[in-house]
Amino acid sequence: MRKLSKFNIFTLIFAAFFFIAPLLGAFGYALRGVNGAGHSLVNFRWIFQQQGFYTNLGVSLRLAAVTALLVMVLMVPTVVFLHLGGKRWRRLIEFVCLVPIVVPVVSLAIGAQISMPKWLQSTPYELCFFYVIVSMPYVYRAVDIGLQSISLSTLVEASQSLGASGLTTLRLVIVPAIRSAVTGALFISIALSLGEYALASLLHFNTFPTWVTNVSQENILGSIALSVSTLIGAWVVLLLIVFLPKIRSLRKVSVNV
Amino acid sequence: MSNKSHGSVVEFESVTRSFGSITALRDFSLVLHPGELISLLGPSGCGKTTALRILAGIDKDHTGLVKIDGKPMTNVGANKRNIGMVFQAYSLFPNMTALENVGYGLRVRGVDSTARGKKAKDLLELVGLGEQSNRRPTELSGGQQQRVALARALAIEPRVLLLDEPLSALDAQVRSQLREEIRRIQTTLGITTLFVTHDQEEAMTISDRVGVMNKGNLEQIDAPSNLYNKPLTPFVAGFVGLTNYIQGFMESKSEVQVLNQLLDISDHSPSLKKGEEVRVLVRPESISITKASSGATVLTKSFLGPMTRIGLDAGLKELIYAEVPSKEAKKFDTGDHVKISIGTDSVMVESV
Repeated sequence: MRKLSKFNIFTLIFAAFFFIAPLLGAFGYALRGVNGAGHSLVNFRWIFQQQGFYTNLGVSLRLAAVTALLVMVLMVPTVVFLHLGGKRWRRLIEFVCLVPIVVPVVSLAIGAQISMPKWLQSTPYELCFFYVIVSMPYVYRAVDIGLQSISLSTLVEASQSLGASGLTTLRLVIVPAIRSAVTGALFISIALSLGEYALASLLHFNTFPTWVTNVSQENILGSIALSVSTLIGAWVVLLLIVFLPKIRSLRKVSVNV
Repeated sequence: MSNKSHGSVVEFESVTRSFGSITALRDFSLVLHPGELISLLGPSGCGKTTALRILAGIDKDHTGLVKIDGKPMTNVGANKRNIGMVFQAYSLFPNMTALENVGYGLRVRGVDSTARGKKAKDLLELVGLGEQSNRRPTELSGGQQQRVALARALAIEPRVLLLDEPLSALDAQVRSQLREEIRRIQTTLGITTLFVTHDQEEAMTISDRVGVMNKGNLEQIDAPSNLYNKPLTPFVAGFVGLTNYIQGFMESKSEVQVLNQLLDISDHSPSLKKGEEVRVLVRPESISITKASSGATVLTKSFLGPMTRIGLDAGLKELIYAEVPSKEAKKFDTGDHVKISIGTDSVMVESV
């Protein structure tokens, strides 16, 4: 393992302090008891007592899952295609993927809303398509860099010559070969959909972030406890995404041996 | 496993492939007989890999016909041809162990994990990597990776085996070792094999027949010894083995004057006119030298084992090389004057 230089250690501590200090502060606040006296978990208990907590959390988790699935199904094959045979489309797709960064959310919400079919406009799952658009610039880069790090065409040709179809090659060879890039892309799309407020609010859908905004106005310490819990919850979800495949592959290896 | 009937007949019929204005393969026709190993040899860009990719089904933008066992492959995808392929670049799947890599072809064919594990293990034993079956590609050397790739290609019991310069990234020792192993396994299993290489030693030692390619054309296909001793074109003569190019002129339609020697070339003379300036292609072993008081000067001596290559300055632009038995070469020292004699057996001429 590479030894860290003094500068790197300093940078790491500084960055950790930068992120952890406000969190610790918020956590300290959230632990204050009734009327700010003593320490207790009363503010955390308050979160679960609020109406709509489980419903809205469930909606957001489902939206995040569908978004992640859509991102993978749409973006991974597209970027693979660009690398293999569609090089002339590359600039166009790169441009399209950058558009969501420069288009304001309001314009995106109104413009894209018009193009959505009527039946989709009445369900919160409509938001998934917006989340896909918003996460496109980041997901494209992550997958693109992952594919640049492997000999894609040789691997695809090898897999084909062994009898695999395009889909099998994608599932068994390409995606596992760029697992860290795909995990990164999943990470981004899930984080974006779990925390997105503006689009949901503009389109009048109730999701976890809109619910958080509403209930936070009633109890300041409760809202801080809610923020800390949300952050920790999001971290847990993201850590699960990172570590679950590793644990599964470790178990697989131990079974094989 | 020594069943020669595994091999298929492969036919290329007038296959042409162009990339824009460049014709990579021109009217290419070739038949590979069952169990035969044919090497396509030629410089970079001569079309040898294109031919292989067309047979594999990876490149389908060509005219002409490719047949395996008499069946046209035009509408058969790469994944349906049952062709094993080993690539020049390391092509093992990085997320899989050696065992999983070898079993991959069987996995996509729906073979259960016990059966494919056993077969993969057997094949890894065959290529001498039984102990490394649980290693990932990054934990294997280049030679080991190519052995695994070979085992992986063989696991699907292919009708045809394609080897696309599989040894070019390896060091000399591993290369010659693996080359012999490929030949052993190929002969044992009797798989029809097309081997692409730019290394003539590799092609000559491993093949039943060698096809020499130049600018998309198959110049000559023959047994290695014939290719060397009876080249049909100046390109083949120049590309296979070392050749001296010596200036001369046509004394008559069947005789050439070179180094004050008159050579009869009636057996292999193209239509050249009397008095025309030509280049005479002579193998180093067709040149014999004797000590003389004047004439060419011995400039270099390179020991090659049983033979010694002697570089001679005969007052031409380039040195003339002669290969003589090493025992005989002891008689000559650098600076000695010698008389050059050219044998007519393997002489070719081409117009300047």
